[in-house]
Amino acid sequence: MRHVQTRHVVLVATMLAVAWIHISAQTTARPAPTATDWAALAKLPDFTGVWEISMGGGGGRGRGAAPQGPALTPAAAARRKQLQSEAREDSPTANCVPPGMPGIMGQPYPMEFLLTPGQVTIAIEAYQQIRHIYTDGRPLPADPDLRFHGNSIGRWEGDTLVAETVGFSPQTELDRNVPHGDSMRIVERFRLTDPNTMSIETTITDPDVLTAPYTTTRVLKRHRNWTLAEYICQENNRNFVDANGKAGVNLSNPSAGSAK
Amino acid sequence: MRAAILGLSIAIAMASGATIAAHHSFAPFNMQAEKTIAGTVKQFDWTNPHTWLWVDVPNDQKSTDTWAIEGMSPNFLGRRGWSKSSLKPGDKVTLVIRPLRDGSKGGMFVRATMADGRVLVQSGEPTDP
Repeated sequence: MRHVQTRHVVLVATMLAVAWIHISAQTTARPAPTATDWAALAKLPDFTGVWEISMGGGGGRGRGAAPQGPALTPAAAARRKQLQSEAREDSPTANCVPPGMPGIMGQPYPMEFLLTPGQVTIAIEAYQQIRHIYTDGRPLPADPDLRFHGNSIGRWEGDTLVAETVGFSPQTELDRNVPHGDSMRIVERFRLTDPNTMSIETTITDPDVLTAPYTTTRVLKRHRNWTLAEYICQENNRNFVDANGKAGVNLSNPSAGSAK
Repeated sequence: MRAAILGLSIAIAMASGATIAAHHSFAPFNMQAEKTIAGTVKQFDWTNPHTWLWVDVPNDQKSTDTWAIEGMSPNFLGRRGWSKSSLKPGDKVTLVIRPLRDGSKGGMFVRATMADGRVLVQSGEPTDP
């Protein structure tokens, strides 16, 4: 009899929990996009298609970057010097760990922009990554989960998409050998400078690490005939960096990675 | 057109070497050295994050060693005139590579000269199909 009562209590508690979840879901429910929302996209600049950083347009740091890189606080400069002195031969990307932000936006591979109501999605070929920039008016999360690509919102200022991103994984770097602080913030301004050229101006602020905002600009060209290709880094990765920072190449098993 | 795409200068190839570093560093390779090897293609892995070319190269023991040559990704090369059949098993090829520092039979692709004189490099501006 007592066992039955216990079960009853558990059942009621479960029902209450389900009801609570349902109510909270309702309070955050977003309206389904309407035909008007879809039509409004046509009035935005045409970011559709596949874009790639043009050769000479700056890879890692981007054109227009200060040649010495970001202006670091004394502590961050000392930290960089220490990391440089450890002479790590490679970064975890050799092991197929994606670089995260901001490095993922400087890769020698294309990216595709997708505009849907309330959201800009960037499909990034390198490491087969994806970024979501929410343009539906939601605020940045107050206590964001720490992610490789952070947490992004965006708004349109005329023909410029302005994206703000916070909350980055400690596994990402602000710049080579420059770990970011907890409050790193990245603002990106995406705009077309001619019908098939996109400028992305990236400004990083990080009071724990930088003495001044760090701005770089990358130029991308649109390739209308391209599609994104697959990039499974684990498919046949023979490069590695070990725990001591020693880089190497695995030449074993020649047929394992064959794709014929 | 294809020959023009593939025949771009080594200077550009050097410049585009930075793109390889996007995935990994040059540390295991001696980027100051060039080594030439000649042999027969055993296998061409058209795979990410890098292509790998396996070449059987005659050795002093009247046998062959299999060399492994790392190249740019299929994504990068596929937009610059290459395909998965640019190098086929049985093709005779002379390769210039940046050798591995540890002396292993491997290196990084610089250029390949085919039996018909065609030269393959891994560089240049991308082309729209």
